[in-house]
Parts: sequence; C-alpha cells; structure tokens
Amino acid sequence: MATLLDGRLWLITLTALLVLVGVNAALQPNFLEPSVLQSNLTTFLPLVLVAIGQTYVVLAGDIDLSVGAVVALVNVTTVSVIAALGGDSQSVLAGLAAGIGVGIACGLVNGFFVAVLRFQPIVTTFATSIVFAGLALRILPDAGLPVPEAYWRGYAGGLFGVPTVVLVLAAALVTIAVVGRRPFFTRLRAVGGQRTAAFQTGLSVGRLRIAAYVLSAVFAALASLCLTGETASGDPLMGQTLALSSISAVVLGGTALAGGVGGPFGSLLGALVLGMIGNVIFFAGLPFEYQTLVQGLIVLAALAGGVLVARR
Amino acid sequence: MPPALEASGVTKRFGAVVALNDARLTVGRGEVHALLGANGCGKSTLCKIIAGTVARDDGEIRVAGEARALASPRAAEAAGIALYYQELSLVPQLTVAENVFLGHEPRGFGGFVDETTLNDRTDLLIGRFAGVAGEGFTARTRVSDLSPDQRQITEILKVLARKPRLIIFDEATAALDRRQVDVFFSIMKDLRAEGISSIFISHRLDEVFRVADRITVMRNGATVADFATAETTPEAIVREMVGDVRLGPKGGTAAPAEAAEIRLSVEGVTGGRLQGVSFAARRGEILGLGGLQGQGQKRLLAGLFGADPFTGGRVLLDGEPVAPRRPADAIAAGFGLVSGDRARDAAFPGRSILENAAMASLVRDKARLILLGPLRSRFSRTLSGLKTRYAGLNAPIGSLSGGNQQKIFIARWLAARPSVLLLDDPTKGIDLGAKADFFAIVRALAGTGATILIYSSEDADLLSLCHRVLVFNGGRITADLTGSTLDAMALTRAAYGEAA
Ligand SMILES: Nc1ncnc2c1ncn2[C@@H]1O[C@H](COP(=O)(O)OP(=O)(O)OP(=O)(O)O)[C@@H](O)[C@H]1O
Ligand SMILES: [Mg+2]
Repeated sequence: MATLLDGRLWLITLTALLVLVGVNAALQPNFLEPSVLQSNLTTFLPLVLVAIGQTYVVLAGDIDLSVGAVVALVNVTTVSVIAALGGDSQSVLAGLAAGIGVGIACGLVNGFFVAVLRFQPIVTTFATSIVFAGLALRILPDAGLPVPEAYWRGYAGGLFGVPTVVLVLAAALVTIAVVGRRPFFTRLRAVGGQRTAAFQTGLSVGRLRIAAYVLSAVFAALASLCLTGETASGDPLMGQTLALSSISAVVLGGTALAGGVGGPFGSLLGALVLGMIGNVIFFAGLPFEYQTLVQGLIVLAALAGGVLVARR
Repeated sequence: MPPALEASGVTKRFGAVVALNDARLTVGRGEVHALLGANGCGKSTLCKIIAGTVARDDGEIRVAGEARALASPRAAEAAGIALYYQELSLVPQLTVAENVFLGHEPRGFGGFVDETTLNDRTDLLIGRFAGVAGEGFTARTRVSDLSPDQRQITEILKVLARKPRLIIFDEATAALDRRQVDVFFSIMKDLRAEGISSIFISHRLDEVFRVADRITVMRNGATVADFATAETTPEAIVREMVGDVRLGPKGGTAAPAEAAEIRLSVEGVTGGRLQGVSFAARRGEILGLGGLQGQGQKRLLAGLFGADPFTGGRVLLDGEPVAPRRPADAIAAGFGLVSGDRARDAAFPGRSILENAAMASLVRDKARLILLGPLRSRFSRTLSGLKTRYAGLNAPIGSLSGGNQQKIFIARWLAARPSVLLLDDPTKGIDLGAKADFFAIVRALAGTGATILIYSSEDADLLSLCHRVLVFNGGRITADLTGSTLDAMALTRAAYGEAA
C-alpha cells in the first residue's frame, strides 16, 4: 500500500473527489447537467488556480500567505485600468495585462524578501499580504466600478461552444504538464527537499525560489481575473480566505508542507474536494456553518495521513 | 604543463574556530592524490573551498595554472571541479537519476526533460557497480529508499556524470564494502588513464597505499608533509598526522584505585553500528571512547542515555540492570549527558542562564512548583565556581560564548549529581581556556565518585583527561589503552587498525 501510493498521494484525493461527486449527484439529481457543472466549475476555479500556484512555492520549501491579497490588488488594478481607459474592448485587454503585470510584481517582491534577503517566508508573506491589501484599499476604497459587459459575458460564455471556464481549466492543466516536464520542476523539488544539497549541486537556489513566488502570484492574478468575471466589479476585500484555503488544498493534494514532495495536480484535486464538500453539505440540508468545520477536519485528516505515510 | 590544482596559504575561520591556517595542496595532471589527517584537521573544509561551497578567508588557488576565485559551486564546476561530499549532496525525495543529473538534465524536444535518456544513462552508470550494488537500486529508485552504501554509490555517479577534470572524493569509501571499493578503485584507474586528476580522502591507510600516487598530510588546519607514495611508509604518515603532541597537564585526580567498585557495566550491547560492546567502568573513572569518528561511540552514548535504546545486550548500574527507553528514564536512573552539539541537544535558546542550568535538577527532582528565590541561591553558588563571566543569571543563554555555555550545561549535572556522566564530543568549537576550565570541572566531578564516559573527536582531549581509553573500530572495541600504553601514537595506530 505504502509503496503503491509512494509519490501518488493524489490518488487518495481523487478517490475522495469521486465519492463526493457520487454523493452530490445522488443528493442533487441535476448535478451532472452541463449548465450545473459549469456553474460549479465557475465557483471552484479561483481556488483551483491559486492552489496550483501555491504548490510551486510549497514544493520549494516556502509558503505564500499573500495570494489572497494579490487577488484583491489585481482585481482593483484591472477594474481601475479598464475604467480609466473608457471601457472599450481594448481597455479590457489593457486591464487584463495590467492585472497580470501587478501579479508578477507581487511575486518578485515576495521572492526578493524571502530568497535574496533571506527573510522568514511565513512572516514575510503575511507582511506583504498586509501591504498588498493596503494598496488595494488605497486604489479602490469601496467596492464598485463595474466592468464592461464584454468582460463578464466573455467569462460566462465560451469559444467555439466550449465554456470559457473549461478553457481556463484546460490551460491550467496544460501549464501544469509543461512545467512538470521541465528541468525547473525537478530543481524546484530539489531546493525544497534538501536546500544545502541543491546549493552544493550548483543550482541557483535563489532564482528558483523567486520563480516559484512569481508563478504563485501569476496564478493568483489569473484567479482574480476569473473572480472579476464572475462578480463583474471591483472589490478591495476580494479573496481574503484564499491564502489559507489554497494551503489546505495543497495539503489535501498530497504535497508535503516541508517541501520536495508532491505536485500541482494533487492541489487541483484538493481544491475541487474542498469545493465539493460545501456542495454536499448544502444539498444534504446541513447548516452552512458545518462547511468550515468539515473542511477543517478533512485537512487535519490529510495531515495525519501524510504523517502516517511518512513514518511507515 | 602546470599542475591540475595548486592551492597555497589557504585559511578559514568559523567564528572562533580556526579550521585552516595554512593549507597547501598541489595535484598533478592525471594524478591520484591522497589527502590525510586526523578528524577535524580541515580536510573537508579545504575540499569545500576548492569546490566553491565555502568561501576562503585568504590564499590562492590555481586550476590548470590559472588563478581562480571559485566563489560558488557553479564557478568551481565551470573550472572543471566536482566534489563528492562527505555528508553527501543528495536530495532524498528525488530519484537516483534525478539526483545524478540534477542541474544537467538531458533535454529532448522543446526543452523538456528526456526521461528515457535520463534513466538509461543512469542505469548505464549504475551498471559499473553491477553485481555489487545490492537489491532495488535502479535509476528510478527514490534516494530515501537506498541503503547507506547505495547512497554513496549514487554520490559517486553524480560526480562522474558532471564529467569534471578534477574530482575530489571526500571519504567516498566510508560505507562501501570490499567489492564495492574494488569497483570504485577500477573507476579511479580509468579516470587516471583519461588524464583526470583526483583527490582521495580516506581514513583507511591500506586503501591510500593501494591507489594514491602522492600523499599530502594535514594537521590542525595546516599542510605538514607531501610524499610520493612509493617513497614513504604507513608509519611515517601516522607520525606526520600525530605530530609532536604536547599533552595538557595530566590528571589532577589520581586514577581510581583498582579496588574502587564497578559502577557501570555494559554487556554485549548492540544497535546501529554497535556489534556487541562490553566493558566495565569504576567509580571515579574517566573513561574515553576513542577511534575514528562514526565507529559507534556516539551510538553507545545515545543508547545509555535512552535517546536511541539498544537493540540487544544489557547495562548494569551499581549491579542493577537498567534499560532506559527515553532520556527521562536515564536521568532518573542517574545518567547525565553533555553534548557538543549544544544547539541540538542541550540549549533552551532564549531562556535564561539560570533556567538552563537548573533544568536537569528540576527533571531529576520531579519538581512541580519552582521557587525562583531558592533556585537562584542554590545555583549562584554552583555557577560562581565555574569562572564564567555573565551579565546576570537572567541573561539569555545565547549571550554566552560556546565555551561558557558548555560550562553551564555541565553545571546542570554538578547540581543533579549523576552517577554516570556521558560527554558527547563536549569540547567541539570551544577555545583552549574554556576547555581547561571544563576539564577541571569534569575531574572534580570524577573526584566525587561519578563515572565519566567521554567521546571526543580530538585525541588530545582524551589523552589529557582520561584514565583509560577504549578504541572503537567498526562498532567494536579493538583496544583498551591505559597507563603506559596510552599515548598519541598508540591511539592513532589502534584507530587506523593494523595498517599503521
Ligand atoms: N560550518 C562550520 N561551522 C563551524 N565550524 C566548522 C564548520 N565546518 C567545519 N568546522 C570546524 O572546522 C574544523 C575542520 O573541520 P573539517 O570538517 O574540515 O575536518 P575534516 O578534516 O574533514 O575531519 P573528518 O576527518 O572528521 O571529516 C573542525 O574543527 C570543525 O568543527
Ligand atoms: Mg571531513
């Protein structure tokens, strides 16, 4: 059992997901209809994206508590740029680009403090999250500033009959696959697994850690653009729970918080599991307050499982 | 043609510890050059400086005639240098192949890792150890699943895969068996035939005389001799390694009388490296555990202290069997431990000197309520006898130097009065003055009837402190030196086995 699951802890997560899908389909007969699936995916997608990005940071032995604040900062930047440029389709593109650009900048800031100045990752990204959230409030003090129709219609719609959210998920999967097969991914795991050995081997440890933070922030920026498509307006408090939820998803997906073991595909499954738990609780008629409790217990169980497998 | 490597006047300090003060090394092209010296003389530090992982304070290094800064592992690699790390540079979570080619992954279409080539090339490299590599050792095996010898082989393959012009093997044969060593030596011969130079570090003199063309000997951070292997003998090498040791003042306490009763008796204990170790120690005896590093001495201390219980044999304390399963049991039974690895095993960082000093007594007395007043008056008396200067008993332990911290940790046991005090490389990184004070405290403790067991990575410590030294080799006691048989030469000879 232990050897079968060695490095494939996401198989457990996949099983859990299938069980949840089965239960949900039993409780909610129309669950498997395309429109319902699409609306569920739309709800889950932001966390899926943030969790994928978070995985790269965790694999390198670090952590990124600022992703929620990055989501907020990107959101207010994008809506502000679009509004400032008049709201035509070109301004939407400029807004999207500005959002991604802000994401990259946030990742570089985190990476600089953690990998170059060697600050503690947890405390540093907690601090930068406060700074990013503060900037977001400075740019857009109150929720509002609706985005043009083209933006949210495009997000709710599709291309050649394929819903946009499915395309985004597919793009994320392709990115996971591409990154996972590059030397970068192995080196990142080496940096998280045994940092001294990685340094002695001649890897650019600092640059790899910065790259992980940039990836994380870019995925957070993408998540923010998706959320903006869903809410269709600016909100400086957007995404506040995403940082901790993304770490829960990473843990559920079988990635070790100590670094070096796991991968983003597991986190994707973990994020879907977290989302499905909410669904099942809702359709089982349980009070909403149970959702957080059950999610917490499941993350604890995943941590316990990880410890048991590691001890064997 | 200039030599492959020429290092001169290399110096390096780690805080107060001088690791290198004048290291020199010249390695010819295609030469197998052995680097010898006692534990802690600076061999690994010199190697790491050459490989760019440690920055030198001073000195010049020329590679193939060209002066190089070697400021990073990458720079050293660009200069054609690869180092086999004594403590290994492997990532346990990655596979053998991923480790061997880390940073040099073969790439295929579009810059993706070519997994097939990666694994095939690694299997080909493992094939050099065909028949002797042991079970379950393939390119796809995770390094965490390998045995210690297989990890060493992986580190060897990793160095070879970098295709360097100068390879440094820092104790690459330590965990290899005889047949694996033979394969390794045939690889070294091939390298020599290709004109690749290698530096070979080993504590096994027979191996050195088998493969080395030249031998450089280091002592206390400096290079002291350089021989052609054909023109020297193991005896001459050992003499250079030992030097003319000036012994510290011996004793202060007389050796315990033959009649003193046996306090600790250890009968055939096993576990880890220990292959069945038996000895007895008297009241008031200071007993040294000597030999090369990693021969089971630390394991014995960890077993006695319950930190890593023995798997077989038994231990009698004052005639009563004791089998501590955890340190608290051992402390209750009357054992104490002072470790040289203060950060890991001893210090409560950030807590006060008083709390650090009192900890053992509190555990031993099973204190439930702590009254600071009485505690303070009890320990201020003990601590004032230590010649330790401190701002106040409430100052954090980290405000003291390593040597003074070590005095506080032994003071723990002065108050708790253990029957057996275990010292695990206690003088690591502390200066000579502090060391002398520390030894005086140990002798005083022995004078009150406590039995002291000390392991030290420095033979000089054992020689100046111990009444008797047991020499460990491969998890067994191979010599019992006392009185007239206890001197530096005898200790080194016994440690290096019959080769010397
Ligand atoms: N990173 C470090 N920090 C502090 N002291 C160090 C460090 N590295 C080495 N030293 C000290 O420098 C000295 C030389 O150590 P080094 O590892 O070079 O010895 P060595 O000759 O390789 O010994 P061995 O035969 O045991 O491998 C020792 O006193 C050691 O404690
Ligand atoms: Mg060494």
